[in-house]
Amino acid sequence: MATSSNLPQQKRLINRPWTQRRDLLVGLVSRDIKLLYNRSALGIAWMLINPLMQLMVYAFVFGVLLVNNSVPNFTSFIFSGLLVWTWFQGSLTEATGAIVHNRALIRQPGFPVAVLPVVNVATGLIHFLMSLPILLIFLWIDGVVLDAKLLLLPLLMALQFAFTVSLAYVLASLNVTFRDTQHTLGVLLQMLFYFSAVFYQVPEQYSHIFQFNPVLILINGYRAILLAPEASAASFSWVPTLVLFAITAILLPLGHRIFQRQSERFVEEL
Amino acid sequence: MGHGIVVQNLGKRFSAYPSDRPRTIMQAAMGGFKRFKPMNAFWALRNVSFEVQPGEILGVLGHNGAGKSTLLRLIGGIGSADEGSIRIRGRVGALLDLGAGFHEDLTGRENLMVAALIGGLTKAEVLDREKEIIEFAELESFIDNPIRTYSTGMGMRLAFSIAIHTDPQLLLIDEHLSVGDIGFKAKCIERVKYLRDQGCAIMFISQSPKQVMELCDRALLLNRGTVAAYSDPKTVVAEYEAAMHPDQKPRLPQAEAPILGQKIAITAMHLSPSAPFHCGDPLTVELDYACLEPLPDPIFSVRILHESGAVCFESNTHSKDCHEKVSPGSGRIRLQIDRLDLNGGKYFVSAGVHSKNWRQLLEYQDKLAKLVVEPTRVVEGLLHPPCVWTADEPSLALGRDTAFADESTTTPEASSV
Repeated sequence: MATSSNLPQQKRLINRPWTQRRDLLVGLVSRDIKLLYNRSALGIAWMLINPLMQLMVYAFVFGVLLVNNSVPNFTSFIFSGLLVWTWFQGSLTEATGAIVHNRALIRQPGFPVAVLPVVNVATGLIHFLMSLPILLIFLWIDGVVLDAKLLLLPLLMALQFAFTVSLAYVLASLNVTFRDTQHTLGVLLQMLFYFSAVFYQVPEQYSHIFQFNPVLILINGYRAILLAPEASAASFSWVPTLVLFAITAILLPLGHRIFQRQSERFVEEL
Repeated sequence: MGHGIVVQNLGKRFSAYPSDRPRTIMQAAMGGFKRFKPMNAFWALRNVSFEVQPGEILGVLGHNGAGKSTLLRLIGGIGSADEGSIRIRGRVGALLDLGAGFHEDLTGRENLMVAALIGGLTKAEVLDREKEIIEFAELESFIDNPIRTYSTGMGMRLAFSIAIHTDPQLLLIDEHLSVGDIGFKAKCIERVKYLRDQGCAIMFISQSPKQVMELCDRALLLNRGTVAAYSDPKTVVAEYEAAMHPDQKPRLPQAEAPILGQKIAITAMHLSPSAPFHCGDPLTVELDYACLEPLPDPIFSVRILHESGAVCFESNTHSKDCHEKVSPGSGRIRLQIDRLDLNGGKYFVSAGVHSKNWRQLLEYQDKLAKLVVEPTRVVEGLLHPPCVWTADEPSLALGRDTAFADESTTTPEASSV
């Protein structure tokens, strides 16, 4: 047998587990998206309408009714924060039920359970990516000039992805023991939202407290990349972002282990 | 080849928690964490050992709650064992929860894709086999409709078809070999046999002794989490049937060796009259046996079953208080039934021997002889005893049904049919 003709086949066999994982992830994400928009008349357009409606409300309340802010490019400022927040909140809430709501899947031999929160966060990422062009339009209207820092955007998104997944691992595990975790999380996220500076700029004297909010760190990063540097660059530093990266690097494998153990316990529960 | 399942000394313990165990964060905060300790534990499986080679089918029998499904799940890698070891080599395909991951609102085709990905195929492989899977499930004209419009049977057929098209090297089936109508069931069994011939090691749970006898190379009987028998299907099925009638016979003791050295064998069974047999005729069943070891007070049983499996009659030497010692050599024992009022149809006669006080099943011959009862005039029911209708009201002119009461008039006309 000629080795040369065998080579692609062998390569495919070696890559098979990875191909399978990737296909499974893509399949589950596209199923989620289909389920969300399948039966509504506007279909996939909802993906865009939702954040736009929210944006209108905030822009009206904080840009027209309560005009006491000095934030330049206010629409882009809110919208960037809103997109990051929506991705974080939406996927974290969904992923917290990852174990409890997927009993049948977890009981499938050979099913990689750890993929479930990743599916939720990836579905949120798709929404995020779909809304990104609209943000670019707002930036263009506001007259913001984008520069080479835009290349950092995928890195920041990867950080947010990994951070949300590791948090989701822990919360989904907790949800197995305490079934009200998901509800409690809703209340806590509501509070966190108001501390994430989505529609205001953090006053200088409080910034040392706010810098412990991981979502704010992420939002600040996005704004430093997308919005004109002069808007917030004065006090901006990448140090908190790097710290968040370090925390994620520790939390991700740890959360993964806890998640694996709890999902095993869950299927054994009588 | 190296595929297969080797299970050694497997044990699995479940914990029972207090019913007031905190379920929410609030309750836990208020009640303290001490109630998280398990109250007591029980063994769902203990000391289970067996092997399944490639190209072999193992049937698993047992009562509800005997640990069958737990065993299959552990082999499938769901949950972990507390004792012993499971060694498997090869990809596991499983039909444990049929239709896991199906979503009502998506079409059959979309669900097929997701379910097959979950089952371990890559997208390219699914696309290759899609047509074959749909054809096997016989859903060509429905595949693009949402699953919510499917009947239960259609959904199960699709799920089954996906599971057996994922090229498993080990296949675990949990009581699903009876999916769909008879035609589809036969097809599933064909497919299972085909997979076996391809070198797949198969384990399946069944409640049907007949299926186990037909399909399996070996069988395993579980009783309360321990192995009650592990041998060829015939022996195990006999043990299973004996254990299924606890009112007649005491439960099989757990500690005894499951495989019995042959001490006695039933060599032949004679029915007289052999044919034709008419409803109400007397029947004599003679058993020829060969005894290899002296047996004190063995119990011989004879059972008559309808072809549907319904037990019509059973008698044994224990209930008749006819004790005797059987010494080595061959012998003959006779059961005389004065009249057998069975309705027309096909019946089978089985015979077995238990040791003293039902302690062990020594020999069992399933459906050793066939008994055909000539057709009678009434078609419904298993029994056809002589009976008479009478009326007190003079206005009701119910006469004596001659065909019922007088056997001699029934017989010639029935046998001439």
